[in-house]
Amino acid sequence: MSSIRNAVPRKAHKERAQPNSRKKFGILEKHKDYVQRARAYHQKEQTIQKLKEKAAFRNPDEFYFKMIKTKTVDGVHKQESQANKYTKEELMLMKTQDIGYISQKAQAEKKKIEKLTASLHFRCNSSNKHVYYAEDREEARQIKLKILEKGKSPAVEDLPNDIKRKIAASYKELEDRKSRVKELDNIYADMTLQKELQKKGRKRKLREDEIVNPTSRPVYKWRAERKP
Amino acid sequence: MVARTPTRGRGGGGGFRGGRGDGGGRGGRGGFGGRGGDSAMKRGGGRSGGRGGRGGRGGMKGGSKVVVEPHRHEGVFIAKGKEDALCTKNMVPGEAVYNEKRISVQNEDGTKVEYRVWNPFRSKLAAAILGGVDDIWIKPGARVLYLGAASGTTVSHVSDLVGPNGVVYAVEFSHRSGRDLVNMAKKRTNVIPIIEDARHPAKYRMLVGMVDVIFSDVAQPDQARILALNASYFLKAGGHFVISIKANCIDSTVPAEAVFAQEVKKLQADQFKPSEQVTLEPFERDHACVVGAYRVPKKQKAAA
Repeated sequence: MSSIRNAVPRKAHKERAQPNSRKKFGILEKHKDYVQRARAYHQKEQTIQKLKEKAAFRNPDEFYFKMIKTKTVDGVHKQESQANKYTKEELMLMKTQDIGYISQKAQAEKKKIEKLTASLHFRCNSSNKHVYYAEDREEARQIKLKILEKGKSPAVEDLPNDIKRKIAASYKELEDRKSRVKELDNIYADMTLQKELQKKGRKRKLREDEIVNPTSRPVYKWRAERKP
Repeated sequence: MVARTPTRGRGGGGGFRGGRGDGGGRGGRGGFGGRGGDSAMKRGGGRSGGRGGRGGRGGMKGGSKVVVEPHRHEGVFIAKGKEDALCTKNMVPGEAVYNEKRISVQNEDGTKVEYRVWNPFRSKLAAAILGGVDDIWIKPGARVLYLGAASGTTVSHVSDLVGPNGVVYAVEFSHRSGRDLVNMAKKRTNVIPIIEDARHPAKYRMLVGMVDVIFSDVAQPDQARILALNASYFLKAGGHFVISIKANCIDSTVPAEAVFAQEVKKLQADQFKPSEQVTLEPFERDHACVVGAYRVPKKQKAAA
C-alpha cells in the first residue's frame, strides 16, 4: 500500500529561513542545533563544577611516592626529569643499532643503483679516450675526415613521448638514488665518528695546521696505547 | 618493432549469474562464476559483468612499452623504455645467463623477439661499444675465438651477436668458471667451450677452425704474446682482433697510458695492425680496448 502513497505527489514542505532583517546573526538556528549547543555548554559547566568540588574537598595530607620526584610549579605539574633515562651502555647499544640501520639502508640503495645502472647505459658522462692508429699522413687525414663526418651527423631521436618520459624518469631515479647514497654515507661516517668519540681512550681534536689532508670536518687523533 | 603488453585473458566470462528469482527471494548474490582455477591469472577484473563482447587488453593503457632499435654495430640493439640499454637478441628465448634483464618485444606480425640487456659494467666488449669503438668486427655469421671466457657472460652476448650461423670458441683455463661456461654452452649451439690454457693453443688446435676475429680478455702480463700465439694458429690473414688491456695487470707502477702504448708496440711487433683504442672509462678504471687487423697485405705504393 505504501507504494501507492509514494507514487502520489505530496506537498513539499519548505524550511523556514532566517529573515532578511536578522541575516547578520548567521543562519537561523533550529531546535536540533540548539540542543547540540546547549549540551556542549552544560557539559563544560559540569566539568568546571566537578573540578571546583575536587579542589574544595582536597586532602592536604594526601601523598603518593611519585610526588618525591615531581612537583608543581605555579600550579603546573612538572614531569620527572628524563635526562638519565638510559645508561651509557644502553645508549651505546642504541647508537650501534642506529648506525646499523643507516648502513643497511645505504647498502640497499647501492644495490638498487647497481640494478639501475645495469640497464641505463647512455647518459653517463663518458670521459674516455679514443685513439686511432694510422700508418702514414694520408691515412691519418682520412681518419680525421671520417671522425668529422661522424661528429656532424646528430642522432635524431624520434621516440614516442611516453617512452621519452619513461627514460627521463629512470635516469632521474638513478640520480636521486645516487645522491641519497651520498647523504647516507655521510651520515654513516658522522655517526661512527660520534660513537668512536664516546668510547674510552685518550684523544684530541687536531688543530687546523696539524691536519695533513685538509677537510672541512673535524679530525681526531687517538693516543697510541698498548693493548694488554 | 614495438612491444605490447601481453593480452590478458578475461576471467572466462564471469557473468552476472544471479538475477531475481520469481519466488521473491534474490538468487544468490550475482557472483562471478566460472573464474577457473587458473593461478597464473591474477586479476580477472572486478567489473567483468556486462562487457562480454570486448576481449582485448583490460585496464592497462595500450601502446608501446619498449622500442628496440638497431645499433650501429650489426647484431647489437638499443632498447628504449624504462631502460635505456644496449642489448642483443636472445638466442635462447626465456633464459637469462647471469640474471640480466630480458626485454620481450612483439613484432607487427605477432611474433615475439626477446632481447637481453648487455651490462657494460660486466662486459668489456659492451663497455667498448658504448665507448664508441668504430668496429668490433664481431657480427652475425662471424667465427670468433674468445680467450678468457670466464663464466661466459660476455660469451653469451657474443653468441647472440654471431647468431646461429657463427661460431664462438670460448677458451677458459679455470675449471670453476669453466663449469658455468659449459652450462651456458649447453643451451647455445654456437658456443664451443674449451677448458684449456690459452698459452698453449696447440692443445686445442683440433677443436678450433680458422676464425675471423679473436677477442682476448685474459688480463695476463703476457697477453700480447698469448694473442699472437693464438692468432698464428687460428686467425685468418686479414682477420681482426679485439683485445682488452687492464693496465694494472701488466704493470701497476707506470701510468695506464704508457702501458697501453707499450702493449700496442708489442702487438705491432707481432704482425698485428692496431687501428684504434678506446678506454673503457665510466665502466672500468684503467682499461683500454684495442681493435685492429692481423697480417694485413701491404698497401701498393705504386698507386699513389
